Amino acid sequence: MKVIYKDLINLLSEKPSKELLSAKLFQLGHEHEINDGVFNMELTPNRGDCLSLNGLARDLNIFFNNSEAFEIYEDDFDTLNINFKNSSPKDCPKISFLEVEIEENVTDYKPYLKNYFKNIGGNKTNFFTDISNYISYELGQPTHCFDAETLDGDLIFENKECNCSFKTLLGSKIRLEGKNCVFSIGKEIVSLAGVMGGASTACSPNTKKVLVECAYFNPESIIGKSIKYNLTSDAAHKFERGVDVECHEKVLRRFAKVVQDHTTIKSIKFKSFVSKESKDLFIPLDHNKVNKVLGTNLDKAEYINYLQNLGFEVSKNIKVPSYRSDIKTQNDLAEEIARVIGYDNIESSPISLEKIYEDNENNKVAIIETILIKNGFSEVINFPFTSKNEKESIKIDNPLDSNRENLRTSLKDSLVENLLFNERRQKDSIKLFEISDIYTKDIEIKQQKKLGIIISGRLGRNFNEFSKKLDYDYLDHILNSNLETKAFEIHEISRNTLDTKKKDKIFYVEIHINNIPDIFFKNLKVNKNTINFINYKPVSEYPSSTRDFSFSISNLNNFNEVIKSLDEVSDEIIKDSFLFDFYKNNKTGTVKLGYRFIFQSHIKTLSDEEINLKVDEVLEEILELDGVSIPGM
Amino acid sequence: MSNLDNIRPPIITREDGSLHPINQTKEYLINLLAEMGFKEVHGPEIETEQFNFDMLNIKKSHPARQMHDTFYADSKKNVLRTHTSPVQIRSMLSDKPPMAFTSAGKVYRKDDDATHLPMFHQIEGIYVSEDITFANLKDLIYQILHKLFGGDVQIRFRPSYFPFTEPSAEVDILSNNGKWLEILGCGVINPIVLENCNIDSIKYSGLAFGLGVERIAMLKYGVDDIREFYKSNLDFLKQF
Repeated sequence: MKVIYKDLINLLSEKPSKELLSAKLFQLGHEHEINDGVFNMELTPNRGDCLSLNGLARDLNIFFNNSEAFEIYEDDFDTLNINFKNSSPKDCPKISFLEVEIEENVTDYKPYLKNYFKNIGGNKTNFFTDISNYISYELGQPTHCFDAETLDGDLIFENKECNCSFKTLLGSKIRLEGKNCVFSIGKEIVSLAGVMGGASTACSPNTKKVLVECAYFNPESIIGKSIKYNLTSDAAHKFERGVDVECHEKVLRRFAKVVQDHTTIKSIKFKSFVSKESKDLFIPLDHNKVNKVLGTNLDKAEYINYLQNLGFEVSKNIKVPSYRSDIKTQNDLAEEIARVIGYDNIESSPISLEKIYEDNENNKVAIIETILIKNGFSEVINFPFTSKNEKESIKIDNPLDSNRENLRTSLKDSLVENLLFNERRQKDSIKLFEISDIYTKDIEIKQQKKLGIIISGRLGRNFNEFSKKLDYDYLDHILNSNLETKAFEIHEISRNTLDTKKKDKIFYVEIHINNIPDIFFKNLKVNKNTINFINYKPVSEYPSSTRDFSFSISNLNNFNEVIKSLDEVSDEIIKDSFLFDFYKNNKTGTVKLGYRFIFQSHIKTLSDEEINLKVDEVLEEILELDGVSIPGM
Repeated sequence: MSNLDNIRPPIITREDGSLHPINQTKEYLINLLAEMGFKEVHGPEIETEQFNFDMLNIKKSHPARQMHDTFYADSKKNVLRTHTSPVQIRSMLSDKPPMAFTSAGKVYRKDDDATHLPMFHQIEGIYVSEDITFANLKDLIYQILHKLFGGDVQIRFRPSYFPFTEPSAEVDILSNNGKWLEILGCGVINPIVLENCNIDSIKYSGLAFGLGVERIAMLKYGVDDIREFYKSNLDFLKQF
């Protein structure tokens, strides 16, 4: 909600600067951003009462003294003779109507109305609708304007099953489905109650006789409708959060006054329909209770002063104002008091929890994680949504899209996808795992903690493992030597159906963690992870390039020097480097080293020239050593 | 001159793998709270509306219950839990004060844009005992944030709204660039919630707080984009 700074301080006797006003709004819990002279408020959903100039000024009263300055229409209203029937008082316990007829159409607005539209109100539509929007900004109560001449028959409010199209006053056509609160005349729906009026009865710049509807709708009757029908509605936003059930006459008198400010009123009639009188809510006066909730030491006089300044009437009990539907209990009052004191001004009071519990036991998951990480596996976390619908799948009723309308019944597909993703990024030795609860359903919903492991590619990158492949035996050995259990079955995943040209075999295993007998964990302990919050470096989005070099060392005295120099290579565009081959040639008495460099830049795709230049720079010193060469280079 | 027999092969090195940074952060937070006396509890990710909403005083009219915010599952019989709070409810129902629980795990919201994911991680703590006050809550939050961000960190409390706490607060810390960052939500447990869990709210009171694990991980590691955590990119994962 946008509020003009000048409009707000108009309602305050003291005129705080923008900075001071901002600080106090924060203290009260009203987040906002300031753009020039406009405060863009982000109010919490319980504070519907603050969705107006008047509401914010009321809440700020304790700091800056709210001097209400709204002029209203003072004369008596005639009684409106209207054929209205409320068929669903549960959804609308109170509704009022004002019928106004004017002499002349109005096009020229007074400065306050002009400024509102200039600064935040957006496009003007017609005189009466513009006033309705303006009044909602001032007082927080939405109203709807019917062109009275278009209403032909009895007006009925009802909550009814709909299956029809409806054209809104903004011209969009929507299809009403299911139960909706509507106003209708005969069979025609003329307004989607609390959300938006219809086109057929909307006011126009030529309207001279308006019927203003001002209602309290039950928030539960309105909620979700504007989103369901994709309608942006300030009215719905307010009704969903609860409006002041007692404000109708004041709001309509203010409406009439704004009309009167602009033109001569020919006739003005009013009628209110109350199906259920709202009851005042009283809370016992108990400052000790508030101190007990907050841990403060307020005396009774301070307590009463705070509450009165917030609009509560204090006598033997505390009467909650009709606009504060969020206040019901002593704890609610405690929050009110805490807001005006300022949360940051409440002294903290030391607390230490009694040691009620034993230390958490080592759990299976932590042990499995430790084993896998020591063996070079990386953990992934995947979203559980999939398009795959299986017999045991749990279906999402309202998925983000059809590709995500089922919960996965296995970790396999996610891990295969993770593997292919990394292969596309030039990874040639991939070992991943995921541990997650999996939910399925036959008769009842079943929860299983599963471990999924996938491997493919080179066994490792050191010279002993570089040319070997990750395979069944590798995985079987890790699982067996650590868990000594046969509660799993490793299988190969065929690449035939996968979108990939790679040839390396893929092996996968999925294990129910709870099926692993506790005994296998008996002798395994893990240390509590001591975390090291490293400073993460953003991952490059540019492709990497690989260069392999085969060194021949005939002067063995320089062997250690070569190894040391290669290990010390470090450069911005060298992402990684390692020894992948080591071979002693007894015939020639030389040592062969295979060394791999992986180049990648964070800012661009590297050209061959750039890489070659870097290679020359890195190798220069090494190749100057006696008896060290790269055959063929 | 060296002889081939004297040349020793270089030491074989193997890279360690890595625990996912979100799980590392989650474990770190669980341990931090466990050291303070909170017991770790677990609960299902598929929940009933009763535990996810009703018991927590989240009324039918609350925006969070709408189809556009919450994933409903299994012909609307269940929801994907939108927070870890139902685990606290289950734990309170099966224990007696004084009690202190922490629950951490995956939660779901119907969101998917640059800064929101349909699944993320939360960690919560509750403490129920006699004479627990808002002033105690402040002290506890200071303790946690000092452990997390150091003793010099500047902390600000703001009023907020959660149906299950009253008073409710959001807590910000001052970041290095001079901006306040929202870091956690907390409050005095709403007596209605205690009563829902068969706890005498005249005798007992409690405090509750919750943090987003991704948020903490992003701050501690310096990750700017929440989506990085879920790309499963080895270049990313191996850094942690």
